[in-house]
Amino acid sequence: MASIAASSSTSLLARPRQLVIAANQVKCFSYGRRSYLSFNLRQLPTRLTVSCAAKPETVEKVCAVVRKQLSLKEEDEVTAATKFLALGADSLDTVEIVMGLEEEFGIEMAEEKAQSIATVEQAAELIEELLLEKAK
Amino acid sequence: MRISVISQLQRSFSMEFPSLVSLKLPSPMETHLWYIRPDEVKIPSLLKHYSQLLSPSEIDKVSQLRGDQLKKNALLARTLVRTTIARYQTNNAVDPRSLMFKKNTYGKPEVDWQNYKNCNIPPLHFNISHTDSLIACGVTVHVPVGIDVEDKERKIKHDVLAFAERFYSADEVKFLSTIPDPESQRKEFIKLWTLKEAYVKALGKGFSAAPFNTFTIQSKAGTKGEYNLCKTSEMTTSSLEKTNNCNGEWKFSLLELADSHYAAICIEDDQASGGAPMRVIVRKTIPFVEDELISESILL
Repeated sequence: MASIAASSSTSLLARPRQLVIAANQVKCFSYGRRSYLSFNLRQLPTRLTVSCAAKPETVEKVCAVVRKQLSLKEEDEVTAATKFLALGADSLDTVEIVMGLEEEFGIEMAEEKAQSIATVEQAAELIEELLLEKAK
Repeated sequence: MRISVISQLQRSFSMEFPSLVSLKLPSPMETHLWYIRPDEVKIPSLLKHYSQLLSPSEIDKVSQLRGDQLKKNALLARTLVRTTIARYQTNNAVDPRSLMFKKNTYGKPEVDWQNYKNCNIPPLHFNISHTDSLIACGVTVHVPVGIDVEDKERKIKHDVLAFAERFYSADEVKFLSTIPDPESQRKEFIKLWTLKEAYVKALGKGFSAAPFNTFTIQSKAGTKGEYNLCKTSEMTTSSLEKTNNCNGEWKFSLLELADSHYAAICIEDDQASGGAPMRVIVRKTIPFVEDELISESILL
């Protein structure tokens, strides 16, 4: 059973958000033993983008599986950011959700990865990763 | 045996809450299993008193949960842990509010005794588990403990055998598939789930250290309530040659609690007990109010 509060007895580790830093081309010049780095000044500042987003359709399908597994009511809100624990899901629920997702998307999740997903978004991202792998 | 500290009538009025009654430590190879039934704890002033024991981060976590029942159960879980551990500090009165907790490298919660360095602190281990209708805390000395409770009537949304084939070991699937009655099969599935969860939680290294399909738990022939843990070796590809490593490092106990739940307990064997089964002392409690000794053991 997952424990809900602070000292959770089930380790559902949140995956760190991926940061994608869009850096511009860096040109290196060498002169003797010294090298110079030159930035293309016109394109500063560097852009920071957060790589998130599984596709909305994936997120929606995940929400549907979660709703079904936890027998949620219409008015219970489930979004990408929703944590399974906050909805009262325990470890058995999480594993059933994983089974439901595997059936829905035709994939197989490694158990350790499956146990570590804590939000709808993490599940959706993992699913898309696996679908990409499958397509190769 | 019931120890009622204050009467039912007195509780409905605002009053000073008594200090916690101290407890005798578990003996080696003994687990103390404490549980609360949330539906028996309704008095607002008592719940308010409980909420004053929690740390700010615990309060924060409770507030993030959806719905009153989840919030209340989370509050009761933290209260159970804090008050129970505080009560075992027989040499020094420990304020449950002052207990600090930390997580081991893998995320398993444990007590942080940094503020009690000069005191004679017994090496207590604990683990909690809860369902909608029951919250349990297991306590041992010297050895790690893991517990898991499940509602006996819990319905599995998937086909039980399909679930087992996906997540359990081959031997466990074999065992489950020999059970003709679907209802008994579901019950055995749940019992196995609690035993396997209890082991992973006792191990305290996260699920990746012990994926469910790499070990088998089965009842020890000729005993009641004793179980064996066998790890499947992945060395060979042929299932006929798979060796099962069944050593006695871990002890299990499976009980029925309150007629409604299965509870599995797993503790590390200290090797000094000569193979004797685990003793379990079960008590139902309402912190600051009463304890009820249920029985020495109700083994399955």
